[in-house]
Amino acid sequence: MASLTIDNVKKRYGQTEILKGINISIEAGEFLILVGPSGCGKSTLMNSIAGLEDVSEGRILIGDNDVTYASPKDRDIAMVFQSYALYPNMTVAENISFGLEMRKVPKEERDAEVQRVADMLQIGHLLKRKPAQLSGGQRQRVAMGRALARRPKMYLFDEPLSNLDAKLRVEMRTEIKKLHQKLGTTIVYVTHDQIEAMTLADRIAVMKDGEVQQLGTPQEIYDNPTNLFVAGFMGSPAMNFVPAKVVEQNGTYALELQASKPTVVPFPKPDSLKAYAGKEILLGLRPEMITEPQPHKEGAEFVVTADIDVEVTEPMGADTMVLTRISEAEVNCRCNPAYPVKANETVAMMFDTSKAVAFDKDSGQRIDN
Amino acid sequence: MNNNAAKAGSGATQAGRPARLSLADWMPKIVMAPTAVAAIVCIYGYMIWTAVLSFTNSRMLPSYNFVGFDQYERLFMNDRWLVALSNLGVFGGLFILICLFLGVMLAIFLDQKIRAEGAIRTIYLYPMAISFIVTGTAWKWLLNPTNGIEKMMIELGFEDFRFNWLSDPDMVVYCLVIAAVWQASGFVMALFLAGLRGVDSEMIKAAQLDGAGIITTYRRIILPSLKPVFFSALVILSHIAIKSFDLVAALTNGGPGYSSDLPANFMYAHAFTRSQIGLGAASAMVMLGCVLAILVPYLYSELRGERHE
Ligand SMILES: Nc1ncnc2c1ncn2[C@@H]1O[C@H](COP(=O)(O)OP(=O)(O)O)[C@@H](O)[C@H]1O
Ligand SMILES: [Mg+2]
Repeated sequence: MASLTIDNVKKRYGQTEILKGINISIEAGEFLILVGPSGCGKSTLMNSIAGLEDVSEGRILIGDNDVTYASPKDRDIAMVFQSYALYPNMTVAENISFGLEMRKVPKEERDAEVQRVADMLQIGHLLKRKPAQLSGGQRQRVAMGRALARRPKMYLFDEPLSNLDAKLRVEMRTEIKKLHQKLGTTIVYVTHDQIEAMTLADRIAVMKDGEVQQLGTPQEIYDNPTNLFVAGFMGSPAMNFVPAKVVEQNGTYALELQASKPTVVPFPKPDSLKAYAGKEILLGLRPEMITEPQPHKEGAEFVVTADIDVEVTEPMGADTMVLTRISEAEVNCRCNPAYPVKANETVAMMFDTSKAVAFDKDSGQRIDN
Repeated sequence: MNNNAAKAGSGATQAGRPARLSLADWMPKIVMAPTAVAAIVCIYGYMIWTAVLSFTNSRMLPSYNFVGFDQYERLFMNDRWLVALSNLGVFGGLFILICLFLGVMLAIFLDQKIRAEGAIRTIYLYPMAISFIVTGTAWKWLLNPTNGIEKMMIELGFEDFRFNWLSDPDMVVYCLVIAAVWQASGFVMALFLAGLRGVDSEMIKAAQLDGAGIITTYRRIILPSLKPVFFSALVILSHIAIKSFDLVAALTNGGPGYSSDLPANFMYAHAFTRSQIGLGAASAMVMLGCVLAILVPYLYSELRGERHE
């Protein structure tokens, strides 16, 4: 177990800068998730942590050791790859024990370790098979077993579940979470799946174009995104971005939207809107904050009821998603299925802006922080 | 599926334009027919004919006096045939081993992301584009004691340098090995380089993290995963070795004496220049047997592998 500090790490391939100064630091035992669209440099950062790629600038510390120039095998890190990267000519048991063999662990200890790992991951019956004779899920387990066997200081997972089908992915996700709770080891985990990120992480680093956009707990990222990209990336369906005009009302600032009729909604931090008085901003409102009118919220501070024109309804069982158009932007609302909503009708909806956020229209940055 | 689509398509045209359809239908068969006939007659027909002749006492012209296995008995009493066979053993064994070794090594070196890889790859692969006749002739000059490498070394001041394998009946077979290795190892390199390029890069990273050095990684992980490439290279090289005729013809012409004969040269000499068609046919059948002994297991495992997928 060890903490990890990534200090202003840059990586260039020729002229192109792939990592543009990454700063992340996590405590020992934390579960860090790197999330971001394909090609944003997640794997490059992982490979740099593992020592498989040299960094062009910056430092990497594991615990108190500067490992920036240490070779991969001296960093005491294990990695699980997207392709599983099992050795095809070796049996499962040999795959798991290869790292121990390279570290000159005696045969009996290796066998005991293989047995321990196999029991933990329930792959004891597969030990004599070759990787080609395993299913995708079984290969995934073996790849994890290989990482577990060495009891390293830190685990790196590079999109370990993205080759599994949806059901297996959810199962393995839970298992990885249990494993982390049991072992308490530091984990860095790459995914482009924001649900995986939300459910597993102690902390999430949202990346884009080789830069960390935001580092925070899942709830911080969800409630307090620092810019439009983070806000739009996390959450499904995504946060609604509604163009709204900042208006002065009763000595404070509020936002005017164009729902079925012009509607003014209050904003939790009105003073931050001062600089934008009379201009348009983007109001960020999660779908679950636009619901059918709920009597118990009636009259609360940041709650407004207004009519909307329904375009489409999508029943999902637990909720019904209602698609409408506010100030020309498509907006998702999350309703109770019992609320009678039909396409092309006008219905009343309750807007709860207590957790609403505001973004600059041009720069995409938060303006109410 | 493709077939069905084609059938459905031609069915549709049948109603409209029957005359053109039948031509279109027959065309592939007509085009393929001469090739098919030629293949059946010239390859399998003559193969069977050779098999038949090997059981006759044919000499200058084919005859149909069947004598059972007499020709095979004569063949294995024939000293020249035994020399050819043992040459094949030495030549084939060394040729295959050295080619595999050099090819693997070259491929591994080229795989280290070196500069000018394309140019180097072409240089190594180029000999494969030359016929064995050219290779043989070129090496005949190079290995010639009076005006080849030996002369060059002597002119460079190494007065005692001797390299006269070409005229030494005990060593001449190694000259064949040198020339054949020069020609074929680049090809083996290309096979292995393609294999190495197909290796999952994440697997190599995993090995690095597991603490395996570069030599261990190749020895324990990468090369074992290239087993199918080894197998293909082995089959291709062994059938080159068994078929080798032109190299001997150009480089040594079987000499000195018949000390560098290979079975194919024996067969040619007896069937076509020494009026021993029966004996030549018998030797050809033995060579065919050798090739089949290598090819059949290979094809078997290939086809089984396909069904497995
Ligand atoms: N060896 C390399 N040479 C040049 N560019 C590379 C190399 N490896 C990765 N890249 C580039 O770096 C970017 C980030 O890649 P990667 O880290 O694999 O993204 P991610 O894992 O987030 O999908 C990509 O645009 C990719 O094209
Ligand atoms: Mg990646």
